Amino acid sequence: MQSMTRLRRCLIWFLAFAAIHAVQAGELADLDWWSLKPLQRPVVPEVVGQDAARARTVVDRFILAKHREHGLALSPQADRRTLIRRVYFDLIGLPPSPDAVEAFVNDSADDAYSQLVEQLLDSEQYGERWARHWLDVVHYGDTHGYDKDKLRPNAWPYRDYVIRALNEDKPYHRFVREQLAGDVLWPDMRDGIEATGFIAAGPWDFIGHAEVPEEKYDGQVARHLDRDDMVATTMNAFCALTAQCAQCHDHKRDPVTMEDYYSLQAVFSALDRADRAYDLDPATAAKRRILTKQQQSLERRLQKNRDAIEAMKPPELVALEKEIAAIESESVMEVEGVARSDRYGYHSEVAGKQDVEKWVQVDFGESLVPEQVVLAAADEYGFADFGFPHRFRMEVSDDPEFKVSDLIADETAEDYPRPGASLVSFEGSEARGRYLRVTATRLWSRRQKGQPESNDWIFALGELAVVSSGQLVPIKSVTALDSIEALPRWGKADLIDGVFGGYPLSARIGKEAGATAAALIEIASQSAEQRAEKLSALKAKRDGLFAASIDSDLLKAAGEMNAQLAPVKAALAALPAQARVFAGTVYNGDGAFKGRGHTGGKPRPIYVLARGDVRQPGKEVSAGAVPLIPGVSARFAVPKDHLEGERRVALADWIVHKDNPLTWRTIVNRVWMYHFGRGIVDTPNDFGRLGQLPTHPELLDWLAVEFRDGKQSIKDLHRLLLNSAVYQQSSVGNEHAESVDAGNQYLWRMNRRKLEAEAIRDSVLMVAGKLDMKMYGEGFQDFIIEKPEHSPHYQYHKHDPDDPLTHRRSIYRFLVRSQPQPFMDTLDCADPSLLVDKRNETLTALQALATLNNKFMVRMAEHFAARLQQDASSVEAQIARAYELTIARPASPEESAALVQYAKEYGLPSACRVILNLNEFAFVD
Amino acid sequence: MNPISNSSRRDFLWNAGGGLGGIALASLLGKEALLAANTVPSPTGGILYAPDRPARAKRVVQLFMGGAASHIDLFDFKPALIKYHGKESDFGEHVEAFQNGLGPWMRPVWDFKAYGQCGKPLSEVVSALGNVVDDIAFVHNVVGKTGVHSQATYLQATGFQLPGFPGMGAWVSYGLGSMNDNLPTFVVLPDHRGFASNGPKNWNSAFLPAQHQGTIIRPGTSNPIADIFPPKGYITPDSDRDGLRLLDQLNRRHEAEREGDSRLEARIRSYELAARMQLAAPEALDITKEPAYIKKMYGLDNEKSQWPTEINAPEEINHFGRKCLTARRLLERGVRFVQIWSGCDNGFPRRNWDSHEDIERDHGPLATGMAVGSAALIQDLKQRGMLDDTIVLWTTEFGRMPSSQGSKGRDHNPYVFTNWLSGGGIAGGVTCGESDQWGYKPLDRSNPTQVYDIHATILHLLGINHEHLTFRHNGIDRRLTDVHGHVIRGLLG
Repeated sequence: MQSMTRLRRCLIWFLAFAAIHAVQAGELADLDWWSLKPLQRPVVPEVVGQDAARARTVVDRFILAKHREHGLALSPQADRRTLIRRVYFDLIGLPPSPDAVEAFVNDSADDAYSQLVEQLLDSEQYGERWARHWLDVVHYGDTHGYDKDKLRPNAWPYRDYVIRALNEDKPYHRFVREQLAGDVLWPDMRDGIEATGFIAAGPWDFIGHAEVPEEKYDGQVARHLDRDDMVATTMNAFCALTAQCAQCHDHKRDPVTMEDYYSLQAVFSALDRADRAYDLDPATAAKRRILTKQQQSLERRLQKNRDAIEAMKPPELVALEKEIAAIESESVMEVEGVARSDRYGYHSEVAGKQDVEKWVQVDFGESLVPEQVVLAAADEYGFADFGFPHRFRMEVSDDPEFKVSDLIADETAEDYPRPGASLVSFEGSEARGRYLRVTATRLWSRRQKGQPESNDWIFALGELAVVSSGQLVPIKSVTALDSIEALPRWGKADLIDGVFGGYPLSARIGKEAGATAAALIEIASQSAEQRAEKLSALKAKRDGLFAASIDSDLLKAAGEMNAQLAPVKAALAALPAQARVFAGTVYNGDGAFKGRGHTGGKPRPIYVLARGDVRQPGKEVSAGAVPLIPGVSARFAVPKDHLEGERRVALADWIVHKDNPLTWRTIVNRVWMYHFGRGIVDTPNDFGRLGQLPTHPELLDWLAVEFRDGKQSIKDLHRLLLNSAVYQQSSVGNEHAESVDAGNQYLWRMNRRKLEAEAIRDSVLMVAGKLDMKMYGEGFQDFIIEKPEHSPHYQYHKHDPDDPLTHRRSIYRFLVRSQPQPFMDTLDCADPSLLVDKRNETLTALQALATLNNKFMVRMAEHFAARLQQDASSVEAQIARAYELTIARPASPEESAALVQYAKEYGLPSACRVILNLNEFAFVD
Repeated sequence: MNPISNSSRRDFLWNAGGGLGGIALASLLGKEALLAANTVPSPTGGILYAPDRPARAKRVVQLFMGGAASHIDLFDFKPALIKYHGKESDFGEHVEAFQNGLGPWMRPVWDFKAYGQCGKPLSEVVSALGNVVDDIAFVHNVVGKTGVHSQATYLQATGFQLPGFPGMGAWVSYGLGSMNDNLPTFVVLPDHRGFASNGPKNWNSAFLPAQHQGTIIRPGTSNPIADIFPPKGYITPDSDRDGLRLLDQLNRRHEAEREGDSRLEARIRSYELAARMQLAAPEALDITKEPAYIKKMYGLDNEKSQWPTEINAPEEINHFGRKCLTARRLLERGVRFVQIWSGCDNGFPRRNWDSHEDIERDHGPLATGMAVGSAALIQDLKQRGMLDDTIVLWTTEFGRMPSSQGSKGRDHNPYVFTNWLSGGGIAGGVTCGESDQWGYKPLDRSNPTQVYDIHATILHLLGINHEHLTFRHNGIDRRLTDVHGHVIRGLLG
């Protein structure tokens, strides 16, 4: 008999084990799994007797039914002080003010609690609190991560979009559609563009894209990993489906094939992560769209006209034009047979504005009269005049500080013509001095198609030489306001190294002689004057030939079109400046990082990669998703010549399809988890066979159907959950229930919440009287950036905790990926390199040290004390007030006595430090 | 069947004892592994619940050269490069260079000479390692996956080439737990001039619980561990001590009214542990009382408050030696995993190994410092009997090309590079895996060594089957070695 039992037990174990391992490699999992079954509205359990009295919402009836099964019961209703603190932190992430607590405790209205919930849902701080949850899920950050970890200055409009979307309670289907394809569906609405920051929210390998072209394997790997992040983020966030597991082989447990996975990659394959310009005002956006269309149409016609003119040109005219262009551009100087020097010249630090003064100066060692000053621009990145300032002046002085000086050249009134590879020379005056200074007054920036590429403004100069008494003056030293020292390429020393625009002077004049004054003057005068003369002769000849050979009707037509184009361009230029958001977008680049703009946004072909290896492409796939919706094809039916955006629209439609079994369950489960501390499914990003099972499957389905078929309002969902008895019960334990369900998965009590890093920081600022409630906009930086030109060093320890700009709510913190803020990181803040569906919750010695000794905490305890001293005069009253502010209750006589005595001995700030470290402050009952 | 996840197992641990301070504290210290062994053998839970085999080693030191150190100028002697120096390089196939480093073959910058009984040729610039070369095993056929710094650093540090994965030290801490009760389990000594590619993400705990994260220690500074002491101001030692006592009293009263939540006890204990760390850390980091001969061994007999602005060997010896000596003191006090970095970002002026322009200028001082410090560490561990159960691993992002870039530099070579290991059951004086005659690719291209193999071997010596150390995250049972890795038998002593 006994052996039979043992045998049966073994059998049960075996079956259970077999169930886990039923799906073997090479055999695709089927749809017979709870989360993949069609959603149906379950029957709501009946409740009777005492349960009926306790149940406030349908939610309670499902919870109570489970309690009956397991011999459990709800804990008593929590008291009002507990409730108000709970619901404040839950909905807005801040503690209630003592006034709010007193008002609520004394509110005799029957619906006092639901009114409180309404009030909090209406407050703007609600969006700030709940946006943080969504930003965890989509791993939003303000730097790229990876090597160098450069800043992403335009990520925040997406963060603001999420806050606004939650405050406005956007229907969920709209929230999904906007984030995946808002630019296609609502192109004139700012929300439509800003929402696509979702696609770009995660980390981005700057080097792998910006410095390694797609033709190289390393470049392909980087782009493959980039799309993988887009797929994983989308499918985990919206569908709790770990599609990314099918990258190297079919999913081991869930029905996702490699082909499904790569067809999801194909949805995003035209995109890159980049700044995208947009209009905040829909009317402007519409105007811009119409004008741009007109401009494009005119330009197309003009192009045709130009082609016709071109076809008419005789060969000698073509040759002449080429010659002129070559002289005019002189884009990069080449001297045959001589290697280009890698010593470029002087390079200032980068300024954020164009009209800032930067200077570099030389010391002759003795006072002299500079008869001629010759400047050569630096030759780099395909620019022969890299960094040459648009406006500048030159002075001489005997004072190294230039407190008094003589001006020898003033080019500050208007932009100086671009010198190209030509040397620029200036006649000196009679003025004498030991030092000569070049001050740039309008800086230069790298350009692309005539537009500054970025807001990085610099002053660079390749060489500076001075002739005095007919001789080249030896220069003793170079100083500058600031300089990037990256020798051999850049550095102050390179300003006087004899390399003029990439080559030694001797190479440029084709003579063996080195840099002599005569040679210098020769080439300087030659290049400037002769160039001008030659050009004007060539142009005159060209104009004559042109007039003789081209049909005048064509020219007339061109003139008319140009006349039409001019007002269109002017109208475009007159529109308000555009905003920028870092988004998933078709990128129009050049060099290594081309993006797909050059193909008109055609998606990159996507192949099934054997073992996920870019060197082993197999079958090409079309855009699609996973075959989970009955009767809906997993490959999108888009026309052959579709635009890339249609793929994203199709994916969004697939996600919000009424019969998608995952979407609705996923979102209601997330909201549940943030309220109750654990999900009905406690792996909110994974509803597959490797995830956890729902503790209350019927409740989950009921909520999902209710949500989907209702207004798809997240706020309605909050109302439903928060007005339930299960949410309002006490968090105190009881022995019987613990013996049945120690993990509280059946919710016989409320889970005590350990406050998240943001809630701690915001609360500390608030009670200290320092919290700045300013909403939206650029994030604050609680660090100093050093060495920004290569890999920015984010120096948190140099930040002053009293900087009022950093006293805003934590949602507005500038999030650095490679170097997380140490204080927040220690408190288990979400890591923007990870898709965080549920934060880790730890209790470590380093946390204790952080809340005790971090300069932010220590300083805020002082401010807290100062505030208390303003609010109340006796130490007793101050301590009482401190308790009300931090933990929403009066201090007991014993607590008060102990703290008062301590405060009297060591000062109120020390007592405040103790209070800010209380368990009761860090946990919410 | 409800698979038991890590989180529910953790709940079980938290709750099984009904507020058992012991359990909470153990978890706090990262001793979960030991506990789990006696409590719940979980079929899917990630933590190691029984040692897979007797462990040879208990501790690991990882020396990481940021920017990519040249194998052919330091450890992997290639006479062909001397013979064909200056001749046009011909790899016999198309080579995808990261920049444009396919100039003529370039000989090693320093001469090589045989050392030890094993007769292993080493470059003059790392000759300090000659004394301990018989305790070192070299692997010259390690291959990477990419020549991009960031991805390559991630790959060597975490086993994955993208962000979001725990560093090797975090895995070891997670699997084996702590050996002390007043210091972190996993300590990182970054280059004091800044972080390498990816910064602290290289030692992040990612999805593993935060107590497994590498803790940065900056020896010689006033706050060697972040926030270990309060900033100057109103807090005095007395107010601090009495404040902690008061806090404890108030927290205990709070806890007494809230049965059944062991986190409250755990948080109370975390303050006690913090107080112990405040005492233990300064003592552990104080190298002033080390005898003169030890300081000399680590190159610390040349103290200066000011160093020249140009990169120079004495300064590099001092910095790296200090980190190595600190590492030894931490290991002695029960720290399980120490990671030492050489090389910050990849910017200019170069204080990193990314010598595109001039190997001699950057590698010279950096390698001298690295060799003096790491040789001293091996020798010192040995004389204390600790080398038997401490593994030292030297690694980098990838190697550098045998061809020249410019006239004096070398481009990235992800196709082959060198690792070396010492101690903790590693065979001494051996070479395990060769590169080809140029040091361009593995000699046997079909059997290269990958980072997974190095990690699997180290875990093996720590008593862990690398396939068993897992953690479920977003639907995958994650491993340090992904789905790869085999133990390199030739490395085992």
